[in-house]
Amino acid sequence: MMQVQEDTFHDRLDWSLWRRVFQHALPYRRFVFGLSFWAVVIAVCDASFVLVTRWAIDDVQAATGDFSVRPYVLTYLALASTLAFGVWSFIVFAGSLSHHMSHDIRRVTFGRIQQLEMAYFDHRPTGWLISRLTSDCDKLARIIAWSFLDLVWAGTLITAISVILLILNLKLGLIVLGVVPPLLIVSSWFQKRLLLSSRATRKYNSFITASFSEGLQGLKTTKTFLREEANLREFGGLSEKMYQHSVRNAIQSSIFIPIVLTVGSIAAGMVLWVGGGNHLQGTLTLGTLIAFIFYAGQLFDPINQIAAILVQLQGAQAAGERVLSLLATEPKIFDSEEVRQRINATGEPQPGCAIDGYPDKIGSIEFRDVAFAYENNDPVLEGFNLHVDPGSTVALVGASGGGKSTIVSLLARFYEPSRGGIYVDGIEYRERSLEWYQSNLGIVLQSPHLFAGSVRENIQYGRLDATHEEIEAAARMVNAHGFIRKLENGYDTDVGEGGNRLSTGQKQLISFARAILANPRIFIMDEATSSIDTETESLIQKGLHAILRGRISFVIAHRLSTIRSADKILVIEKGKIIEQGSHSELISRKGHYHALYTRQFRRETEAQVLDRVGG
Amino acid sequence: MDEHTSSPGYTAKNAVKVAWTLMRGYRKGFILAIAAMLCATALRYLVPLVASGTIDYALADSNNSGWVAGIFRQFVERTWLAQNLWLSAILMIGLTVLSGIFNFFKGKLAATASDSISRDLKNRLYDHLQRLPMGYHDKVESGDLVQRCTSDVETLRLAISTQVVEVSHALILMGLALPIMFLLDARMAVASFVLIGPIIAFGYVYIKRVRHLFQQFDEAEGRVTSVVQENLTGLRVVRAFHRQDHENGKFSVPNRDYRDIGLKLIRLMALYWSISDLVALSQNAIVLGLGIYLINMGSLSIGTLLAFIMLLNLVLWPVRQMGRTLTELGKSVVAIGRIQGILQQPVEEKHIRELPEYGTGHIVARDLTFAHAEGEVALDKVSFEVKPGETLAILGPSGSGKSTLMHVLLRLYDYQSGSLTFDGMEMRDLDRKWCRHQFGTVMQEPFLFSKTIMENIRLGRPSAREQDVARVAQIAYIDETIHQFPSGYKTLVGERGVTLSGGQRQRVALARALLREAPVLLLDDALSAVDTETEEIILSALRERHGKMTTLVIAHRLSTLSHADKVIVMDKGRIIQSGTHEELCKADGLYKRLWHIQHKTEDLEVGA
Repeated sequence: MMQVQEDTFHDRLDWSLWRRVFQHALPYRRFVFGLSFWAVVIAVCDASFVLVTRWAIDDVQAATGDFSVRPYVLTYLALASTLAFGVWSFIVFAGSLSHHMSHDIRRVTFGRIQQLEMAYFDHRPTGWLISRLTSDCDKLARIIAWSFLDLVWAGTLITAISVILLILNLKLGLIVLGVVPPLLIVSSWFQKRLLLSSRATRKYNSFITASFSEGLQGLKTTKTFLREEANLREFGGLSEKMYQHSVRNAIQSSIFIPIVLTVGSIAAGMVLWVGGGNHLQGTLTLGTLIAFIFYAGQLFDPINQIAAILVQLQGAQAAGERVLSLLATEPKIFDSEEVRQRINATGEPQPGCAIDGYPDKIGSIEFRDVAFAYENNDPVLEGFNLHVDPGSTVALVGASGGGKSTIVSLLARFYEPSRGGIYVDGIEYRERSLEWYQSNLGIVLQSPHLFAGSVRENIQYGRLDATHEEIEAAARMVNAHGFIRKLENGYDTDVGEGGNRLSTGQKQLISFARAILANPRIFIMDEATSSIDTETESLIQKGLHAILRGRISFVIAHRLSTIRSADKILVIEKGKIIEQGSHSELISRKGHYHALYTRQFRRETEAQVLDRVGG
Repeated sequence: MDEHTSSPGYTAKNAVKVAWTLMRGYRKGFILAIAAMLCATALRYLVPLVASGTIDYALADSNNSGWVAGIFRQFVERTWLAQNLWLSAILMIGLTVLSGIFNFFKGKLAATASDSISRDLKNRLYDHLQRLPMGYHDKVESGDLVQRCTSDVETLRLAISTQVVEVSHALILMGLALPIMFLLDARMAVASFVLIGPIIAFGYVYIKRVRHLFQQFDEAEGRVTSVVQENLTGLRVVRAFHRQDHENGKFSVPNRDYRDIGLKLIRLMALYWSISDLVALSQNAIVLGLGIYLINMGSLSIGTLLAFIMLLNLVLWPVRQMGRTLTELGKSVVAIGRIQGILQQPVEEKHIRELPEYGTGHIVARDLTFAHAEGEVALDKVSFEVKPGETLAILGPSGSGKSTLMHVLLRLYDYQSGSLTFDGMEMRDLDRKWCRHQFGTVMQEPFLFSKTIMENIRLGRPSAREQDVARVAQIAYIDETIHQFPSGYKTLVGERGVTLSGGQRQRVALARALLREAPVLLLDDALSAVDTETEEIILSALRERHGKMTTLVIAHRLSTLSHADKVIVMDKGRIIQSGTHEELCKADGLYKRLWHIQHKTEDLEVGA
């Protein structure tokens, strides 16, 4: 539940990183230009209001007799309308840029995840990858669009005000602008602290959420072990920590804002003092003096914005690095240059010929001297040899951790051997097209995974262009048709997220139908029957003969019925085949297999008798 | 939402009442915060007045100056002030600093109060949830409960710390600005407020109308997340069928929806911000126009106009936000209702009765009957007796009521009729916690907390020494496995640490239960995921302890049960066979059949 918080704070801005992120904005140049244009317009309007006020005040002071307020009010309203329209446009432009960019970054990141090899996912928890695709993408796009906008706006406004001030009165202008550097320093100092304390608050908030859900999941344990007080004490520690960080954040901002206001008032006070003197000497109009007082107050908003953006960019750098590094990761399992050339050369394949130019068939499979180790670990397989004849079924048995799953993962090309090779009809499978090879596989895993959607859609996943008749035929073949028809909406029943509305057994039957619909040349069952009830198991058993006929099958199983019918049984231990042969050969040998079989037989018979009780 | 979780429709009045109750202990701080805000605002209002007075009195050469200049006249000579303008400057800065100090106290007091309230409320909810009966938890969805305890509490915290403060701020601003403005110039004051009402109303109505879109946006984001999640959890399936292109296509729909709803939302918000900007600026234009006109007529001073413009700028921004703030505040009414929905549920009651820490473990059930709900009988007139030190084995197919029996013994559920006694005392009349204290339990799918292995085992007896922990770990045959982990007993369990296999989890849970040294040991199919060899080692270790504690064992395998003093066979909530091992072996029935299998396999033949 708890997510690893790895957001760090970079003290230095990595501009090249942000340039690379900004490349994703290039397709939307028109939004970038549009928002820059309007940001400048708005900044100029913002700076001009005070000038209108000054103009009006000076004029009214000088006026004698007839005087109309209309030009001032109309100018003011014209500026206001321009500004309002500008606000509308820049929000639309910046918002569009942000949403389009985050959409695009998400799309390419998702696409990249589809290409990466299985090994990439071994050490990365699902939750970690999900946040890369959701919050990180949003964060980057938002920061790029809105920060860019604010930078343009604030930069223009500060420039415009500076120019106006210096033109109106050099000395007073310099006095007011003198507060800019201290404001910038104070502002970025506080913004950084605010960011850190709000991040700490969020971190403890996620711990608290995790603690609530863990508390609910483990409630029976808590109650039976009388853990209530101890749990509450631990929880109280977390909520106290969150309280401290949250209050710290509030205190920081309630120191920060008064300081900024004070610096602003120093500028205004100085203007009144020095400017008032000038006015008395007749070198400054009252309107200009008032304008200076207003400008002194208007400066700190853009300065704060700039400080905030710089800090945000520093804070979001980690997110940028993570997403970009994910995008920059090259898949390690892919078609080699030579294979790709062959695919291009083949073009539209002849009948009986695959897209890579080699025959479109899979007869025998051979593991030749295969070695394999997971990342930085001891080898799981070494010098592994196996020859499988066309159409035969191989059962892999043995204790867990012996390397059975690794063998089928290599066969499925989820991983590739680190030494030796796997040969399909004499051709090493890395010389074949990955797409062609994997579309010839049908795999049923231990814990069946279904996608949200209807039963039909889930079976159809095996072959996307299958007709309804074909889907039903596949379901009948694995004896799933019966239960599917009895569901509320038959084949159109929604299975829920992850298939949760169905029982494990039902899910497994559907995943069998899905695999068989693909009419694979290689069929793999990885502990497919170990987590289901006896009833479902017998349903599968009845269809299994038809499923296995005419293709090469690899079966990892505990259940004896599945193992017994295999042509070849391999007992695997520590990455080696320690016994092999048919069921009757191995039983009469009275070795490892015999012992394994005896124990399992007892277990299964007991379970069957228990299940039949009362019936 | 069903009746168990929601509470009767909360009105704003009720919500305020509840919020007021929750603020108990922090009310003073909160009220002080509002008082500090009042002072801060009042002081900030003086700054424009100082500027305005100085200009009118000392700088502008008009005779028409307002009362502010009049106040100045009371204290200083005009020419003196003109030569010593620094005084005004210092005054402006000083007032800002003073206002800032009050602002700081406001911020600190409000945050302390609201964060304390939220912390206390979270603690209370956590504790309350722990004390609610299992019957309640079976009916509610835990995701929803977590949501209430986190997001709803956060909504409430924001309501107290931000929205209520902001509304008070706006009220104070207007409450102070109005009299000052009217004192300065009544005509200008009226002109300053003509558009304030419309701005608030516009904000309120607009945000309320687009609020559903924010929800749609969140939902769209949720759909993106769930497709990503499905894709990642089903990674092997995707690869196995080489469906990467299909998945990319599937992802593009919610991804596009999310973007498009976002675009729609941004267009509506752009409209909101630009219209409210326009209205606010028009308000400025009105004040400027009228001010200039009046100055020209000779009935207004420049300084007063300056004061009006500055004051208006102070009021306008917070007031513009008001519409939005009020709709946000509306959300907290719902949140309070949802929080109260949990807090109003009755917790497990306590019975206070003086008893020794541990009993002897003599359990007798007579016609014990329990149903989860009307008509769903889970235990039907179950009777048995276990004397201290005896082992009772319970056998039966899944769904026969074995686990329910354990839960009733642990007082997780209350039995409806019949009797269940512990050491001769009716369990219904005993304190639940005392009852639970009498058992060491291993559940079928044991739960381990995301703590270290040591801490998880110590759950059984927090005061246990490390040697004791190692000793029970040896009995549960997990000691060796633990030592193989790089950090040994300090290894973290769960997503942030190592993921234990089902069998390893069961063995840790067994160690935890053994450490308890309670009079009764409950094993609910506790070794189902442990492989046969290891199981035999553990069973023989347990057999050595036979006679020391009363033991109730549920199992699917006969091997686990063979050393029991008594065996009961259950089906559909009833006991269908009972007796000793020898008796049951003689009688026809399930037990005998199982026993035969056990022995037949010894001389197993090929292709049995």
